[in-house]
Amino acid sequence: MLVTPEVGALIGAILVWVFFWSVGTNFSTASGTASYLDIAAPLGIMAVAVALLMIGGEFDLSSGVMTGASGILVGLLVRTFMGEGASLFLAVPVAFIVAGCVGWFNGTLVNRTGLPSFIVTLGTFFMLRGANLVFAKRLSGKVLVDGIDEGSGFEVFRKIFASVHKRPTFGSRDALVLALVSVGAVALSWGLLELSLVRRNGRDARGVLFGTVGLLLTIVGFVMLLRTTGVSANTLWGTVAAIGLIVALVGLARAFFETTNYRGTSSLSSHGRTLAFCVACVAAACAAAFVFDRNEPRVILSWMPHPLRLACALLAAAAGVGLVVRRWGATLRQRTGGPGLRGTVRFVLLALLTGALFVVGTLSFFQLTTEQAMRAIAVVALGAVGLLNLLRLRGKVAATSKGDQLIVGVVAALGLLALAFVARADSSAIRFRTGLFTAMVIMSALLIANTVIESQHVKRTSADLAADRRGRRAVAIGAALASVGLIVRLFFTNVPFRISILWWFLATALATFVLIRTKYGNWIFAVGGNKEAARSIGVPVDRVKVALFVTTALAGCFVGMMTTLRLTTVQASQGIGEEFEYIIAAVVGGNLLTGGYGSAAGASVGAVIMAMSIVGIPYARWNSDGRFIFLGAVLLLAVLVNNYVRRKAQEAR
Amino acid sequence: MSDVAAPQPILEFRNISKYFGNVTALEDISTNVVAGKVTCVLGDNGAGKSTFIKILAGVHAPSSGEFLLEGRPVTFATPRDARNAGIATVYQDLAMAPLLSVWRNFFLGSEPTKGMFPFRRFDVDFAKSTARSELNKMGIDIRDLDQPVGTLSGGERQSVAIARAVYFGAKVLILDEPTSALGVKQSGVVLRYVVEAARRGLGVIFITHNPNHAYPVGDRFLLLNRGKSLGDFAKSDIALDKLTSLMAGGAELADLQHELSQAR
Repeated sequence: MLVTPEVGALIGAILVWVFFWSVGTNFSTASGTASYLDIAAPLGIMAVAVALLMIGGEFDLSSGVMTGASGILVGLLVRTFMGEGASLFLAVPVAFIVAGCVGWFNGTLVNRTGLPSFIVTLGTFFMLRGANLVFAKRLSGKVLVDGIDEGSGFEVFRKIFASVHKRPTFGSRDALVLALVSVGAVALSWGLLELSLVRRNGRDARGVLFGTVGLLLTIVGFVMLLRTTGVSANTLWGTVAAIGLIVALVGLARAFFETTNYRGTSSLSSHGRTLAFCVACVAAACAAAFVFDRNEPRVILSWMPHPLRLACALLAAAAGVGLVVRRWGATLRQRTGGPGLRGTVRFVLLALLTGALFVVGTLSFFQLTTEQAMRAIAVVALGAVGLLNLLRLRGKVAATSKGDQLIVGVVAALGLLALAFVARADSSAIRFRTGLFTAMVIMSALLIANTVIESQHVKRTSADLAADRRGRRAVAIGAALASVGLIVRLFFTNVPFRISILWWFLATALATFVLIRTKYGNWIFAVGGNKEAARSIGVPVDRVKVALFVTTALAGCFVGMMTTLRLTTVQASQGIGEEFEYIIAAVVGGNLLTGGYGSAAGASVGAVIMAMSIVGIPYARWNSDGRFIFLGAVLLLAVLVNNYVRRKAQEAR
Repeated sequence: MSDVAAPQPILEFRNISKYFGNVTALEDISTNVVAGKVTCVLGDNGAGKSTFIKILAGVHAPSSGEFLLEGRPVTFATPRDARNAGIATVYQDLAMAPLLSVWRNFFLGSEPTKGMFPFRRFDVDFAKSTARSELNKMGIDIRDLDQPVGTLSGGERQSVAIARAVYFGAKVLILDEPTSALGVKQSGVVLRYVVEAARRGLGVIFITHNPNHAYPVGDRFLLLNRGKSLGDFAKSDIALDKLTSLMAGGAELADLQHELSQAR
């Protein structure tokens, strides 16, 4: 499930974003986002079309120049018929028809001659390029065509292709975003749990990937949380971190523990002491926050030099880690019958996980050698020990009684909730406490969701299609809700956004739907994967290819219209060289250069990566000519990562 | 040539010959395929096995002779005709897209859909559940239908292809050297599916050069050598060692030995 083509690209996009965010100043603001999305939109529309073509096993080198040619054609029609009431209502449809014909020509020629599409479309590329120059010069004596805004209907088409929209913020925006994102996260994790329950046998590597992605998210989320100020940003990052944490925990737990059976009989009654201990821990953690003096930053180790104080702080954190790891480690040894290699790996991973938790927790209360910090450590350590043991207990009792599991799960969630409120009341750093509070509330929600699921389901050893479907729906709904939340957060910020972004989203959604939910998508994959096989089994290979070439050309025309109507002039050189950017975006997005594998969403993410690189470099005040160096590196890296992901996908099961 | 008191054969060949210019690829081949039985076509490299398949699958038309499908003489102009008539061919390269998942490959080219036109979509749930149940019926247990076909072992891939042919209503299943690239264990697995397909009422043509694979599953054996038939035997008329020696050119070898001893 998680090993899909776009995973690598998504990770890459996050890394590139973090990179530019950390070196630049305004990159992460709404206006910075707007400026790279503005570049990503046309690139993304083209990348999606090119990706479909690439999955079908072909290239189109004329796609870039097509964006210029369609603009020139519209200009030509408007200028030539200026006297007789030139109308864009005529010119624009004609441009689309001509583009479609060029695509049909490409496709048919490739089919008929059997030449590589690289050669055929290179021919088209040069012809279109020449035509652009010839007609532009003949028409206006210059290498550009202008005056498109004088045709009738210009305003209408401009509205469709190139309007600018600005939405003011509204009062309850952040609350709405928070609600959407948290509900989305719950649905998402519920769905992922369902899915991970379905394929119990072949899920190990997936769990690891899960865990890794989750850990990455957690770290990014917490680092961001520490860096940003302001309620909404903190909310956002707290959420990211919390989701990451849940994903990591669930993923790793599933990867490492689920298949092993818990030993011995374990009902809640025989674990009363553990339960009591855990609840006491959580209660003590809550109490600690109030017992210690909050407002007075009394430094208790002030005589130490600063590095030593830091060392002390880290040691304190490490001690906490050690404690938890020892408990978990004992369980591990008991379960696997000796440490062994796998046991050791598990142990190290768990240590890393809990270590990350503790370091983050401790470092965040960074005035570590004050009394306040002592309290913070007490809260974190006691709370963590209590909660972790509650979770462990939940797993234990699950073997015998689902009801007991539900009880323990709810107790754990309530404990987490209590700690969330304590944290909110506790910290003096507003940005931190808001994020943490949000994160913890969401975590407790997820915990309940998880518990309910697990207590309802018997462990499955074979696939359950109904649950699979339920899980996929939940994932889709969750992802949709969370994205809507993020989009609301992004767009209602008084910063102008272009309508091209909407078109881009629509194109991606449509292409994704076609690719994975229609028979045509199946055909596209098959045509690119094994043409002869597809033909022999009755797929109309030639028609599929022609359709793909036409789609690419139409997308080129669409993007051409966006540019033309926005600038009202067209350069004869418009779009030349961009065909490679489309291909790069598609490849970075996880599409296989030789066809048969890939995704439309991946291509879109690839376009975002490229746009971020293009915009991020000037934002970081570097020489913007250097962006090509960066692009090249990104391309190479992306392909390596994609290959790795694909190999994993193929050997995992 | 022995007489087999068999039910009406589903596919019957009468004196099929094929010439490519002056080259004789097949000459005067006759045999028949009975529903629920396995007919093995054996021959060494260059014996005319592939020509035989291509005639069956509608790629080539025979130069002379005829074949009868359920008693009626038929000619196939294209592979599609053959498929529509119920003759499914599982080629060595398997006709599958390696990076596509098992269930997508299973329904490739005949995707089930649901919904009205603008929202007509691939019925994924139906496709998955059907692929799973069909594979289960054949006794094939694939853990995860979402895994790419390229990750399956050769034997599993063959069995998916066989199950697909069975599901889409083939009457005659032609298997082109399904075991040639496989190890001993995998071959055993595929042979089991061959028998299973026959048990489910299909007429199976099993093409191979390995008599040890052919003998346990076959009900009838057609031996080819340089385009000519060495004989068409029912299982009761031939033993494995005879089959093997015929395949290995035993007769020729004996002649050679005889000649050599004479000369001495």
